[in-house]
Amino acid sequence: MILLQSHSRFLLQTLLNRLQNIEKGVELDHHWVEFDDVRYHIQVSMKNPHIFLLSVSLPTPSSETIFVSGLPFGAIEAIKAAYGSLVQILDPPRDGFNLTLKINLSKVPANQEQKQALLVKVASIREVVLGAPLRVILKHLASRTVAPDMDPLVALVHRPKESFFVFPQADKVTVMYPMRFNDSIDTVLATSFLQEFVEARRTAGLNNTPPCSWSHTTPQELKEVSPEALSANAGFVSFVIFPRHVEGQKLDRTVWSLSTFHAYVSYHVKCSEGFMHTRMRRRVESLIQALDRAKPDPESSKKTSHNRSFQRLSLKESRTRSFS
Amino acid sequence: MDPAASRPAVVIDNGSGYTKMGFAGNVEPCFIVPTVVAINESFLNQSRSSSKGNWIAQHNAGVMADLDFFIGDDALSKARSSSTYNLTYPIKHESPLTAPESREYTGEIMFETFNVPGLYIAVNSVLALAAGYTTSKCEMTGVVVDIGDGSTHVVPVADGYVIGSSIKSVPIAGKDVTLFVQQLMRERGENIPPEDSFEVARKVKEMHCYTCSDIVKEFNKHDKEPAKYIKQWRGVKPKTGAPYSCDIGYERFLGPEVFFNPEMYSSDFTTPLPVVIDKCIQSAPIDTRRSLYKNIVLSGGSTMFKDFHRRLQRDIKKIVDARVLAAEARLNGEIKSHPVEVNVLSHPIQRFAVWFGGSVLASTPEFFTACHTKAEYEEYGASICRTNPVFKGMY
Repeated sequence: MILLQSHSRFLLQTLLNRLQNIEKGVELDHHWVEFDDVRYHIQVSMKNPHIFLLSVSLPTPSSETIFVSGLPFGAIEAIKAAYGSLVQILDPPRDGFNLTLKINLSKVPANQEQKQALLVKVASIREVVLGAPLRVILKHLASRTVAPDMDPLVALVHRPKESFFVFPQADKVTVMYPMRFNDSIDTVLATSFLQEFVEARRTAGLNNTPPCSWSHTTPQELKEVSPEALSANAGFVSFVIFPRHVEGQKLDRTVWSLSTFHAYVSYHVKCSEGFMHTRMRRRVESLIQALDRAKPDPESSKKTSHNRSFQRLSLKESRTRSFS
Repeated sequence: MDPAASRPAVVIDNGSGYTKMGFAGNVEPCFIVPTVVAINESFLNQSRSSSKGNWIAQHNAGVMADLDFFIGDDALSKARSSSTYNLTYPIKHESPLTAPESREYTGEIMFETFNVPGLYIAVNSVLALAAGYTTSKCEMTGVVVDIGDGSTHVVPVADGYVIGSSIKSVPIAGKDVTLFVQQLMRERGENIPPEDSFEVARKVKEMHCYTCSDIVKEFNKHDKEPAKYIKQWRGVKPKTGAPYSCDIGYERFLGPEVFFNPEMYSSDFTTPLPVVIDKCIQSAPIDTRRSLYKNIVLSGGSTMFKDFHRRLQRDIKKIVDARVLAAEARLNGEIKSHPVEVNVLSHPIQRFAVWFGGSVLASTPEFFTACHTKAEYEEYGASICRTNPVFKGMY
């Protein structure tokens, strides 16, 4: 998995399952969380097995981002355009969620291919809702205009209390990400990953990709933004998107890749961390093996190693034990 | 409340056959995958020995095609389609007897690699009891009969404490049932491609096996009405793609019978499961025995056979009644003893009982205070995973 899938796998699986045995009125009540704190909740009642209630909660926006009645701007239009009559937006949404959709499963087309495509679309609700503002901007870019009623610098939420910034112009759109990590090791890994990432862009085969740059200092375009929104400990990444990157089919992919760029980086940071730890453990194991081979007398050492594995309680635990 | 704490916890049950994963508070796990890892040995060896240029060539040839390992369903399909991947079953069943070292190891991986804010390693039998905790009454005393794919344990629990000295293990588990079914079908000469026979036997076990009350009667029933009892299995040969079909006969009830009459499967272990359970309870402290008999909980996929709990209850009851009668005869009927109540409980979520118990436990507000936290790990090291907060009076 080099790029993250845009649909939630579990949601798709549940929908397919549901459609296959729709007559069996089984009650469903599930909730789960995805990366970047997007939460889902689904509910199906015994009475109406055709009605599928899907609630989505989005990451909490930071102060720069504007949500219109709990949703990013353009989200409602995007939902209507994507699903048509299949879904209905319930107002107000379920308690604690930003959006509740009522999906009528009896309206799903019978044709296998259409059905699959539509269900994948429903399962990628996150892309539709969170990517809506970016899609509007990039659509204008495709027609080489700037959306009339928009600020010169747009902040879009992608993680809880964190935003990335979009600077739309008529012939290009600049997207800037302040990269922030909680863990110090993650920060180091991310920094070197991003340096390599920018380096890889210069390979001959990638001439048509969006130009990207990485720097420790704040880009010129973000001078007016409040400093706490820009507290980045792994530098700033910016992409320049040209109209050729958003032509036709490419639009959806571009929107998804841009809105999950941070998740993409942290996924790779996690993977490299896991890989390094595996190698470290393998090394430790080989060293322990060497030590084991060097043991003089296996008979007497057996007893001590047995003892060792059960003693050694930490200070705190021995204290709590004596109290309880 | 800080947002990390209000997010539901992830509950993972590493069974020996299947790994169940999901979020706390749900009724069912989100994903169930076979517990296998396919390791690309050739890739590992190659990259270790080869020069850097070679590595880049390999890298450009396609990283996606050559990941160094796969897990779950991907592992099974990869291992079948190409010979570069070796299947290994890395996880030993997390039993109450797991060595503290492996707990430490889990803690190390979770905290270091995955940066989890908190970790809780639970004993699976206690979780299985906790699963029954909501469906019936608040009972933390009972015997958990956990029959997974690779191991079977009988674990007595008194007030949430595992009685470690009385834990009994049976070397017969779900995989042995599958092997026995496979053996029966092979000996009868059913037309199954040999490379597929284990898979077919597993499916037959999962779909058609049931527990009978009496083998002799069951044989008679099958002989009188073969049309009603003998099932058909249809499949496609993996190599040639030709369809085939075979009959499923006596193995339908003989498979689960392995637990009650193990002598017909192996000559090494011949103690029936009910006798093992009875011995286990008899070795527990005397004041807990009655309540242990009253609450025998089944968990694990291999207890899903139809009427398994009825048969188990009947057999244990027989053993107990015989003992009571013998005791009364010895005392010449001077003292009448109370009859011992034997109850084997089964509930619909038995298959993921352990996972469900974990889900229930992790959705309680006290759970977050019982976790090992990252801060604790950084302060004391992996040794915090040695003790289990369940034993520190959570119940």
